[in-house]
Amino acid sequence: MSFQIFLILALAATATFFVIVISIGLVVHKALHSKKTQRQQNLYTEYSQQVAEVILQDLPVLPEDSTASGVFDQYEILLAPLKDKLEKMSKGKRSLNRKAVKLALIDFAKDVAGETSDRLVYFCYSLGLVDDEIKLLESKNWWDRAQAAHDLGVLKARRAVTPLAKTLEDENPDVRIQAMQSLVILGGVHSLQTILVKSRNISQWTAIELSIIVMRFKEEAVPFLIDGLKSSDQSIVLFCIEMLAEIGFVSAVESLRTMARDYPNVVIRAKAVEALGRLGDQRAEGLLVELLANPFPNLRYKAIEAVGRIGLRSALSPLEERLRAGPLHEKILAARSIAAAGPEGISLLTSIKNAENDVLRGVAHQVLEEFHIDPSLA
Amino acid sequence: MMTIIEILLQAFFYGVIAYFIIVNLSYTILLMLSYREILYYMRHNSFSDYRITVQSELTPPISILAPAYNEEATVVESVRSLLKLNYGKYEVIVVNDGSKDATLDRLLQEYSLLPSNQVYEPALTTKHVRDIYKSNKPAYRNLVVVDKENGGKADALNAGINVAQYANVCAIDADSLLEDDALQKVMKPFLEDERVVASGGIVRIANGCEVVNGRVTKVALSNKFLPIFQVVEYFRAFLSGRMAWQGVNGLLIISGAFGMFKRDVVIEAGGYNHETVGEDMELVARIHRTKLEKKEPYRVVFVPDPVCWTEAPESVRILSRQRNRWHRGLLDTLLIHRKMLFNKNYGVIGLAAVPYFLFIELLGPVFEFVGYFSTIAMLALGILNINMTILFFIVALFYGVMFSVGAVLLEEISFQRYPKARDLAMLLSFGVLENFGYRQITLWWRMMAFYDYFVKGVRTWGTMQRKGFSRAA
Repeated sequence: MSFQIFLILALAATATFFVIVISIGLVVHKALHSKKTQRQQNLYTEYSQQVAEVILQDLPVLPEDSTASGVFDQYEILLAPLKDKLEKMSKGKRSLNRKAVKLALIDFAKDVAGETSDRLVYFCYSLGLVDDEIKLLESKNWWDRAQAAHDLGVLKARRAVTPLAKTLEDENPDVRIQAMQSLVILGGVHSLQTILVKSRNISQWTAIELSIIVMRFKEEAVPFLIDGLKSSDQSIVLFCIEMLAEIGFVSAVESLRTMARDYPNVVIRAKAVEALGRLGDQRAEGLLVELLANPFPNLRYKAIEAVGRIGLRSALSPLEERLRAGPLHEKILAARSIAAAGPEGISLLTSIKNAENDVLRGVAHQVLEEFHIDPSLA
Repeated sequence: MMTIIEILLQAFFYGVIAYFIIVNLSYTILLMLSYREILYYMRHNSFSDYRITVQSELTPPISILAPAYNEEATVVESVRSLLKLNYGKYEVIVVNDGSKDATLDRLLQEYSLLPSNQVYEPALTTKHVRDIYKSNKPAYRNLVVVDKENGGKADALNAGINVAQYANVCAIDADSLLEDDALQKVMKPFLEDERVVASGGIVRIANGCEVVNGRVTKVALSNKFLPIFQVVEYFRAFLSGRMAWQGVNGLLIISGAFGMFKRDVVIEAGGYNHETVGEDMELVARIHRTKLEKKEPYRVVFVPDPVCWTEAPESVRILSRQRNRWHRGLLDTLLIHRKMLFNKNYGVIGLAAVPYFLFIELLGPVFEFVGYFSTIAMLALGILNINMTILFFIVALFYGVMFSVGAVLLEEISFQRYPKARDLAMLLSFGVLENFGYRQITLWWRMMAFYDYFVKGVRTWGTMQRKGFSRAA
């Protein structure tokens, strides 16, 4: 056999091998996937019924002199048949069945409260599910760690607070955010302190996720957010400023004013200026007008927007200066803030719309239109 | 003693084999990389709640750019679909690129648009912008229509970028349909990593699907051959090609039908190039080049889940024009950025992505054509080893099938958009069938692209007639 034919045959063999492997992979994947899904569904249905029975079953009232552990003894009796059943299984089968039990418990945990919830939490501890999940927080697979962090919150496993707090420093952001959410379920608003202290370099996505958590508490979160302003991590400081502005609680004005004036980082100063504008407190007005002449463009732009949000008449003169001197973007911002100052501002813009400068005239026209004032009639 | 012809033939044979091995090795590596990337994406995605982008004030706003040229049949419905997307704050900027039909009139009438006094700041140079329209109806307050002189798609997109008021711009085709959560998903990489400057979503073929109120409600394969062949091609291109390249930050194409960019980065790179028909690829290549030359950290990513549905050509004539245009665009981009080829200063782009696109994607048809031609010539000369040639063609067929099946497998383990087993069987069958005729026809169209580019000097888009999406009964 010549080398050429050998080469062709080798290539043919490789291609055939891959085609067969991929095709078989496709068919096997499809078959196994549906079989596995069906099997898990069957087990889940079976254990959901069992779990429903044990968590909804009425328990005899305990005598008044019974000890605190009396109720746990009752729970243990309810759980005994399930435990026995799992004990008798082979290791592999038990693992699969425990997974189905866990899924059933997690689903119930989302919907129950009061004594039923306590009973369910006890079952999780007693079956060793909580310890299993805590161990999974150390898994080398980030998705297992994230899932465990999520499940511990749903299962209301208070034993997991310390390991979850440690997980806030996990390298994977998905794991961190799941831990944050679970800590909030377990510790309420006070968890924010730990979260803001331990979190580092949070992405904008994580900040958005965290903002949803913070907004559940609103004013209750304010002291922790003000504390968070002292963080050495820029992303946390920015997040706290944003949240303080969003919640709109004026107790943050003094801290924000100090940051807007003195903070060494301009990005954070600009964010604080923006927040002051959103809070609209009189105490910040002087500082905001002063910052309209700041040499840092971004800081100045934020100050222009901030005075516009408040609608400051006292800022008309420096705003007009920015309108005449700044680049187009700044001109538009300044014109909007002038218009927001009320009739005096509108009158100023109306006089500018007849200016000789094309750009100035265009900006005035655009902004008057944005404020629904017909430029031809103004 | 071997004659010179025999020596040449043997050299040719080994050349073909070497090229064949390189091509298929590249495809295998890409397929494996894609598999890894898709698995990561699926896991990562399972922990993401995209609804937060709608709920939170922190979600950055987006400007959607939809250039429209002679789109009177579809433009009203496309814009309505864009205005109903599920995202926080966004504006829709439709750029009427000097349409000769009633595109602008349809928009003005349907959305109660009036000329606006908005100041036009040309950060990028474009053809004359005649007017900017905004609606006086509150429901359409986030709609802006720019009417400009005809300058081509790139020019229209640049005008849209000039008008855009937000820091992130999303370029789409006016005749495409985005899924409700597509913006949330394509935006996520920017929020997770501040180095991300561009992100592309997957484009799927809507022919055969049921469309209700600008939304694909039922996914199915078309009952025509051409769109099904294209579904398999799109799987290969998106799931097994772009997914792999983005994993190593070597993605050179973000489809013009659906891509998100940081506005300042596009302006910094000079905007879309008016002089090429491959303006989408050229922009991405230029962004890579600009960032690498400035040594600034950046990432260009592909997200396989945010879906943009598009109508694929159903006629051979229109498909041939599209493929010809795509190949001319590729050729043009690689010529413009030839400096990056095998240049280590451009990292993965210079040493892997550009060579791949040059030798495999661009010149692949040439090598294949030469192969067919020389086979016929050798047959005519009576010097062809017929058995070995047949064997080689069978091998080539197997490899072709392997990569098509691999791409279908990627779809099957991930998104499973085609729920019926019948559809899966059809896709696999077409993965085999495309090697008998369809592949050779597309090869010819791509070969003609060289002729059109170098000999006829064709640099225009050509026309693509849309019939509009089919509606549910």
